[in-house]
Amino acid sequence: MKEGERIGLLARPPPPSPLPQGEGEDHSVVPSVRYAELQVASAFSFLRGASSPEELAATASVLGLSAIGITDLNSVAGVVRMWDAAKEVGVRLVVGARLSFRDDTPDLLCYPRDRAAWGRLTRLLTVGKGRVPHGDTSEAAKATNRCFLHYADLLEHGEGQILLAVAPDRLDDSFRTNLQRLAADFRGWAFLAANRRYRGDDARRLRAMAELPLPMVATNDVLYHLPDRRPLQDVMTCIRLGCRIDQAGLALQPNAERYLKSPKEMERLFRSYPEAVLRTQDIVERCGFSLAELAYEYPDEPIPRGLTPDEHLANLTWQGAAIRYPDGIPPKVHDTIEKELRIIAQLNYAPYFLTVHDIVRYAVEEGILCQGRGSAANSAVCYCLHITAVDPAQINLLFERFVSSERREPPDIDVDFEHERREEVIQYIYKRYGRDRAGIAATVIHYRPKRAIREVGKVMGLSEDATAALSAQSWHAGEGLWSDDCLKEIGLDPTSFVVCRSIELARQLVGLPRHLSQHVGGFVLTRGRLDETVPIGRAAMDKRTFIEWDKDDIDRLGIMKVDVLALGMLTCIKKAFALLGIKNMAEVPTEDPAVYDMLCRGDSIGVFQVESRAQINMLPRLRPRVFYDLVIEVAIVRPGPIQGDMVHPYLRRRQGVEEVSLPSPAPEHGLANELEQVLGRTLGVPLFQEQAMRIAIDAAKFTPEEANQLRRSMATFRNAGTIHRFFEKMVEGMVARGYTRDFAERCFHQIEGFGTYGFPESHAASFALLVYVSAWLKCHHPAAFACALLNSQPMGFYAPAQIVRDAREHGVEVREIDVAASEWDCTLEDGALRLGFRLISGFSQEWAEQLQSSFPRKREPRAMIALDSPFRGNDGFAALVRIGLPRAALVLLAEADALRSLKLDRRAALWQVRGLSDMAELPLFAHQPIAIHHVPLPVMTKGEHVITDYQTAGLSLKSHPMRFLRALFTAEGVLSCAEAAVQTDGTRLSVAGVVLVRQRPGNGNVVFCTIEDETGIANVVVWSSLLERFRRAIMGSSLLLVTGRLQRSPEGIIHVIAERLHDRSAMMGRIAEATEVPSKPRSPGHPRQERIFPRSRDFH
Amino acid sequence: MWLPHWPITRLSRNGSASPDRPLVTIEAIRGVRHLVAVGEAGEAQGLAPGQTLTAARAVCPALVPVDADPVADEAALGRLAAWCERYTPMVAPDPPDGLWLDITGCTAVFASEAELVGDLAARLERNGIPCRVAVGGTPGAAWALARAGEGATLTDLPITCLRLDAGVVTGLRRLGLRTVKDLVRIPRAQITARFGAMPVLRLDQALGEVEEAIDWPRPPIEWHERLAFAEPIGTPEDLARALARLAERLCVRLGEQDKGGQRFVARFFRVDEVVPGIAVSTALPVRDPAYLTKLLCEKLDTIDPGFGIEVIALEAEVVARLTAPQTQLMAGADASDGVAGVVDTLSNRLGADRVSRVAPYESHVPERSVRRVPPLPVKQPSWVNDPASPRPIRLLRRPEEIDVIAPIPDDPPIRFSWRGVAHRVRAAAGPERIASEWWLGKRTVRRPETDLIRDYYRVEDSDGARFWIFRAGLHGQERMPRWYLHGLFG
Repeated sequence: MKEGERIGLLARPPPPSPLPQGEGEDHSVVPSVRYAELQVASAFSFLRGASSPEELAATASVLGLSAIGITDLNSVAGVVRMWDAAKEVGVRLVVGARLSFRDDTPDLLCYPRDRAAWGRLTRLLTVGKGRVPHGDTSEAAKATNRCFLHYADLLEHGEGQILLAVAPDRLDDSFRTNLQRLAADFRGWAFLAANRRYRGDDARRLRAMAELPLPMVATNDVLYHLPDRRPLQDVMTCIRLGCRIDQAGLALQPNAERYLKSPKEMERLFRSYPEAVLRTQDIVERCGFSLAELAYEYPDEPIPRGLTPDEHLANLTWQGAAIRYPDGIPPKVHDTIEKELRIIAQLNYAPYFLTVHDIVRYAVEEGILCQGRGSAANSAVCYCLHITAVDPAQINLLFERFVSSERREPPDIDVDFEHERREEVIQYIYKRYGRDRAGIAATVIHYRPKRAIREVGKVMGLSEDATAALSAQSWHAGEGLWSDDCLKEIGLDPTSFVVCRSIELARQLVGLPRHLSQHVGGFVLTRGRLDETVPIGRAAMDKRTFIEWDKDDIDRLGIMKVDVLALGMLTCIKKAFALLGIKNMAEVPTEDPAVYDMLCRGDSIGVFQVESRAQINMLPRLRPRVFYDLVIEVAIVRPGPIQGDMVHPYLRRRQGVEEVSLPSPAPEHGLANELEQVLGRTLGVPLFQEQAMRIAIDAAKFTPEEANQLRRSMATFRNAGTIHRFFEKMVEGMVARGYTRDFAERCFHQIEGFGTYGFPESHAASFALLVYVSAWLKCHHPAAFACALLNSQPMGFYAPAQIVRDAREHGVEVREIDVAASEWDCTLEDGALRLGFRLISGFSQEWAEQLQSSFPRKREPRAMIALDSPFRGNDGFAALVRIGLPRAALVLLAEADALRSLKLDRRAALWQVRGLSDMAELPLFAHQPIAIHHVPLPVMTKGEHVITDYQTAGLSLKSHPMRFLRALFTAEGVLSCAEAAVQTDGTRLSVAGVVLVRQRPGNGNVVFCTIEDETGIANVVVWSSLLERFRRAIMGSSLLLVTGRLQRSPEGIIHVIAERLHDRSAMMGRIAEATEVPSKPRSPGHPRQERIFPRSRDFH
Repeated sequence: MWLPHWPITRLSRNGSASPDRPLVTIEAIRGVRHLVAVGEAGEAQGLAPGQTLTAARAVCPALVPVDADPVADEAALGRLAAWCERYTPMVAPDPPDGLWLDITGCTAVFASEAELVGDLAARLERNGIPCRVAVGGTPGAAWALARAGEGATLTDLPITCLRLDAGVVTGLRRLGLRTVKDLVRIPRAQITARFGAMPVLRLDQALGEVEEAIDWPRPPIEWHERLAFAEPIGTPEDLARALARLAERLCVRLGEQDKGGQRFVARFFRVDEVVPGIAVSTALPVRDPAYLTKLLCEKLDTIDPGFGIEVIALEAEVVARLTAPQTQLMAGADASDGVAGVVDTLSNRLGADRVSRVAPYESHVPERSVRRVPPLPVKQPSWVNDPASPRPIRLLRRPEEIDVIAPIPDDPPIRFSWRGVAHRVRAAAGPERIASEWWLGKRTVRRPETDLIRDYYRVEDSDGARFWIFRAGLHGQERMPRWYLHGLFG
């Protein structure tokens, strides 16, 4: 107490000025006393605080708090959202953190007083985070939110901070000593946070605290905004501790007092210590720092002396333009460039473009293929800077629509790189900017229904199968989630207390943050030290660092972000280019009719983005003829347009069945063509995210800020209330202006669909280019394309067997894996595709390289063997053995039938390899003759060969397994896929084949199956009414017999609508005539089950 | 003997398994849960070992996954082996799912091998244990035939019948060697060079060319004694005498190994194949025959001998170390010393759930912060009371309502009257606010966070007596708060 008096805090009268209530908000509650809550753990104190920043801010506003603080555990992850929320409701926010130390220093609430002190706080947290060993999962790491701090760190970074010591349960001597130390080290700026805990000893405890050497400040150590949140907080505690609620015992709070209390209540609770309440206001006044001060500065790019960034950018752009347009820049493009450069200069975005240009330049120099996308990427400037290869003349996107001066958002450019080489780019960025200036953005992992119910159910003691059944229901959207009917359907009693309560709590949990993870590639770059803006932590992946804020936070603060993403198709295109000697995408001829012809046929296996079953069906209906059609093709098969029911209207208009008309407002509300600019290019139907947002602004008269909130609220799965409000505002707004209700509602549902998988036009345009390039490769260079696809696996939709099959159907000669001809990767041999060792499952690249370097490569092994004796039979085999590959490698080669050029078929080779004594691998024995043993091994049937091919390499060039069963199926009257395809619409027929893909789209009404036989593939549609009866066959079989009706669409797309399904997997055994008997069960290890086919790719 | 789906059999015997909800055991391999064992019901639904749980759920959503427990499986197999000793003393478990029985010379009781096998299979089947039994000249042949089914000849069987590792089987199959016959044709040295000694050894063992030594378990250490009678017995006196003899024998054996039993089961094999039983448990390990007999005989009246009892078996199911030589736990028929004896007598007479000890339990709610636990052994309490919030010496079983004059909202009372006597409060501390344990969900209250909370006060009246009283509910809520007295401080 004496201390407090000496620094004059007690003597100070309450500040006379009115409450800082923010932007003109009028509050009806006028509190008798001013109180600011300064000890608040939001949900960003993960699994500790049970309320979101928005809820806390809103409650603080209703209660009339003079300000609210935010002190998350060793973190500032929630401050930006809190800041935004506080601005929204007009409450003053003081930002800080709760520091928890590894030594005996008590927890401290730390509030920076100015920008410099904020920088010190974030550096302090950065230091602490860097100290946690990689992969440390100890209790200490969990208890400190993975941040190890010591008092010495605080001394180093403590200047300008206000510190509030948090009292432990027992006010012992060590605490007193610590407070004395704090009082001495932070003279005048250290306080003691005092709260009423309702543990029976409050009066005595407060008396004792008043005697301590630091002045008391009243707080309520808030964990949630309302007392009703106590159950959720208890559940979170249990999730954190990994226990059941009835076992948690004293780890839970005894009561629900830790909510935001009104100033009046706090005044009453601290009526013996009124100065403790007044002091809160004092502290608020002293914390002058606001997040608004985190003015962002673009990193400096090296600019030639005497030039401004704008001039430099202009120079680079014009130089690039000269290269892009060797025959002279078309006047239209010239105008566009000038206009764009003007906007960029006006908004000071030049450094941003220069930064992206630098990253792309590095990639190009290193020969890494890349492609930009995003709002600003498809501009003429970016085209000239080689950030994108989409010619702006081709798509005619309006630059200012994306980078507008009124929306003060930083431009957004994402750059995709080859997935195998992206890490090089990332490390370049770290090297170029340094780890204190570059970091990857965080992704806040929010609770989604699935995880929420799983974790709550576990805490509440629901049985595992009940929890699993509930979490399996999570695809039900919105209100339908876990409805009573759904519960009954899965055999749960909706009136049961545990079930009810679990669901209620899970609903509350949905949308709250769970932990931070690293964004896939969003880099934040700054001019000054990044760790003075935001704490930087180490990522789980070594050599990466990431900051505490996610991309929305960064957006709000106007910090620049470049997304450095990985894309498998770029790897594939690059590999194909390398085989063909093409340097970059600009060399690919544009608008080739042959490419579009191919796509119109739905012949698109392997082509980027349009190879899925749904896309293959869409292609012949949409019939793309120009580049912009591909942009639409990419965007149309997405949840947004589908939920908004926009697909069919668009197709009808495109096919000329329906007249193109623009939705328009009533004449008194505006021009009939107000949406012309927005919807003109898509025949009056909104398909892209930008269009839907633009409709909200133009037709429903949302402010750009409101439109942004709408987009964000969709993305965070929360606030059913807010969404409803937006729904009303948008639909009523549009109806009031004369639009039809149906159109308005569809637009809204479309935005809902975009929420999770937003797909803007600017991204679609960049993707469309990759669609075109990969289709061009497939069309004109099928062998190189298949080769590149195989070498980029795993990626895409199809397994190697389908890629190879498709290549062969396009006339590519495919050659077997062979020890004397193959390399690790698949290769091209005079136009033929030679399969590589990478296809042999379990074979290592190291072995392949050893083979390549020591065993002579022969281009035409079969021809060669006849002439060249060293490779004949025994000698060739001996030469192979002497290379010194481990026996396991030789076994794999033999099993894959890759020794044929040594005149050894699979079984003979295997016999030989198995017969090698381990000695042969030793150099001493290396030159001993190796005897060939001839034993009466059973001759391998062709069927057996095919099956073993599938087992070892995942595909067979010899035949298709179904061919061996064809006679059996024909006898049953089963048609081949090719025969089925020529039947008339509505014919009842049976087909059978190997299951390639199973898909059960979101609403679960239907299962799509693709089956394959030796003649082709068939698409099977199974409606949910059949699902229960034939579940086993649908979900479990690898060889499926389907009886059903053929359905042929006008475009010639064929589906079999299943009526009966039979699991014929057992017939696989007939192929090799193997008999199965329960084998001696496994010893401790897990030998792989022998399966013949690669797993079907199932998307449940 | 082969016990197909043994883990499932084991699990479904204790629990309820229905054909619609097949039981499967699962195991996580690198974070992915896979099926390990699948029962007949599961197979019928298309489940197979090795499937991922997700894939299995897609095929059969109703399945009931249980964590695989190979240790328990093997233990249960051991118990089954012990049970089989009624046929032959030479029984050995063959994990994971088989048993070896050497029935050489054991057919005296049964007319033939076939009858013995039939009896064994039938008894197991009745107990819900599916099994396949085969008799062979060599263990290997018997093993193969049990799994391959009847009527097979050894050479036609697939190589999987040779008890080989899965890797070896795959390797042989890849070479086209699928049946024993195929294997026989190949020069043995060549097989050994490629696959090690095992295939040839197993082949020779199956064909009887090489002796196979089975690792019979050590002489039974299972704590099991049985007594068979020439004529069925039935009177309580006879039964008690028999129990006494069994107890004597069992305790001697327990004593030899410094062990004592904590749970004993006596089984009475009636002529009509019904087997009633008695189980007694003791708090501490015991091996005093007189005491044990007394505990058992107290329950003897529950046994209906029916048409007579042929065999009585006594088994110690739970055995623990008991080193201290047990002098006398029960000195005489009616005198006892030591708490354990009293506890056992009371528990076995009144029912184990009626005798308990009170122990602290982690809960903020006072009446829930103690709990009844088994009386022995005494364990250290897991927590101690927080001195900041002391608890009264005596907590009333039921809080008693009192009339109170107290300032609102949450100040301690000024005066109160309890059981008709008025007390003036001289000093008070509190409140200690304790909210209800919402997850119990017994009462339906609109706002449990405010309606169901209690504010406890420690108060001292003018006479120096101290009380623990609380106010249920808050002021300003729907329900008027009420006051109760809950405890007395010394």
